[in-house]
Amino acid sequence: MLRLEEVHAHYGTIHALRGVNLEVKEGQIVCLIGANGAGKSSTLMAVSGLLRLSAGRIVFEGDDLIDIPSHSIVGRGISQVPEGRRIFSKLTVLENLEMGAYTRTDADRIRQDLDRVFGLFPILKERRIQTGGTLSGGEQQMLAIGRALMARPRLLLMDEPSLGLAPKFVETIFEVIREINAHGTTILLVEQNANMALSIATKGYVMESGQIVLEDDATSLMANKDVQKAYLGG
Amino acid sequence: MLLQQLINGLTLGSVYALIALGYTMVYGIIELINFAHGEIYMLGAYMGIVTFGLLSTLHLISPDSVVALLLMMVVAMLFCGACGVTMERVAYRPLRGASRLSPLISALGVSIFLQNFVMLAQGPRDKGFPNLFAGGGIDLPGARISAIQIFIMATSVMMMIGLQLLVHRTKIGKAMRATAQDMQMACMVGINVDRVISVTFLVGSILAGVAGILVGMYYGLINFFIGYIAGIKAFTAAVLGGIGKIQGAMLGGLLLGLIESLGAGYISSEYKDVFAFAILIVVLIFRPSGLLGEDISKRV
Repeated sequence: MLRLEEVHAHYGTIHALRGVNLEVKEGQIVCLIGANGAGKSSTLMAVSGLLRLSAGRIVFEGDDLIDIPSHSIVGRGISQVPEGRRIFSKLTVLENLEMGAYTRTDADRIRQDLDRVFGLFPILKERRIQTGGTLSGGEQQMLAIGRALMARPRLLLMDEPSLGLAPKFVETIFEVIREINAHGTTILLVEQNANMALSIATKGYVMESGQIVLEDDATSLMANKDVQKAYLGG
Repeated sequence: MLLQQLINGLTLGSVYALIALGYTMVYGIIELINFAHGEIYMLGAYMGIVTFGLLSTLHLISPDSVVALLLMMVVAMLFCGACGVTMERVAYRPLRGASRLSPLISALGVSIFLQNFVMLAQGPRDKGFPNLFAGGGIDLPGARISAIQIFIMATSVMMMIGLQLLVHRTKIGKAMRATAQDMQMACMVGINVDRVISVTFLVGSILAGVAGILVGMYYGLINFFIGYIAGIKAFTAAVLGGIGKIQGAMLGGLLLGLIESLGAGYISSEYKDVFAFAILIVVLIFRPSGLLGEDISKRV
């Protein structure tokens, strides 16, 4: 479904991605783990078209994404829950969700998806006329996920969805991720919480200084001694 | 006397507000002070005269009619809108991503270009602007609202209500607010940011074009330099209200108009322009985020 081939990218003079190879198959939850600054977020930004590649290819469902303007990527079926949530804090909850469906014109199905998001996160329905900035951290994360779902993505990119959340919320979020995947959405998940992430993932990649250094089934990665020592706190 | 000054102040203020909206909307989205915005207002006034002249020479419709007035406004709106969009394409878009100083210098360049263009094309002298509201008005105890003042305030209020509806009720308006907050995220949900920026310039320029016609009729004289002083005053209004805030521009415009008019009435009309700039300096020193602006530190 999604394939990155020898992807290189720079932030100014910093060489953030140094030949990333990665594949996500339809229906999977693929998890990308690694230390801060390893290039995980940059990888997602490259897929969303917001980080220009200096070399390499990103292929989604057979099409090269490189020539597509970044605002058209979501129309192809890829949406992102970015790091730090980045909800539109001065827009209402409902408007945030509407923005998620910005490129769509199928009003009936947008309404269905809105009901689905409100079904997943009933609190968002209660707060739909509040501005996004008034929500708590956990609620904002729900809104960010809801907004990404409103695009009806086939591939959902999630960047640290559990960061800074209370343990109770973390569990909810991971349950929701599993549920979204069960409904047929493929997921590429970046997480600090490697234990939780690997426990729901099909496959995992380990990233270090802009490169993939290890890839394996999620269960094998969890059993891997080096991975345990470096990322699983054991 | 007080009532009269208040009426005059509100008239002037509503025009400042119209122009200030263009500054504040553009700043809200791309953080550029578009110093050429006053020139768009000046172009609007000239388009009014040109349209009026054409109507008179062609004898198509009576140039004194309401239809003529509407035509003048529509032509000015279309022309100014097109100018604003072109200006952004040519002078600002290629500089996006450059240092903040570059588009600012580019804006000054556009401003000088437009002033000189109009000076050469239309001549350097004052031109009389037709007042289609000569006479008429309402007499109040101790004051008088002229027909043109009513027209200016009514038009401004209508434009501002229209803008509020656009920004809060339409898809493109919501996209504008989203883009102003987080351009990258806006792009990620599929908003074509370039288009949103074009629309912002379009809307701001249309408002300025209307303001040009209104002021032209109010004062009866225009020249190629009127955009400069009006631009700086509207900029002051935008800063006073809190730059980047739409309601701020409206509030700032009205306040500035009132202060100027009361100052002119009670202190000295010679010092009229001084009040505006004194306010600008005071606001910049004591409350740079403006009346409705949040603390700069909170934004970061």
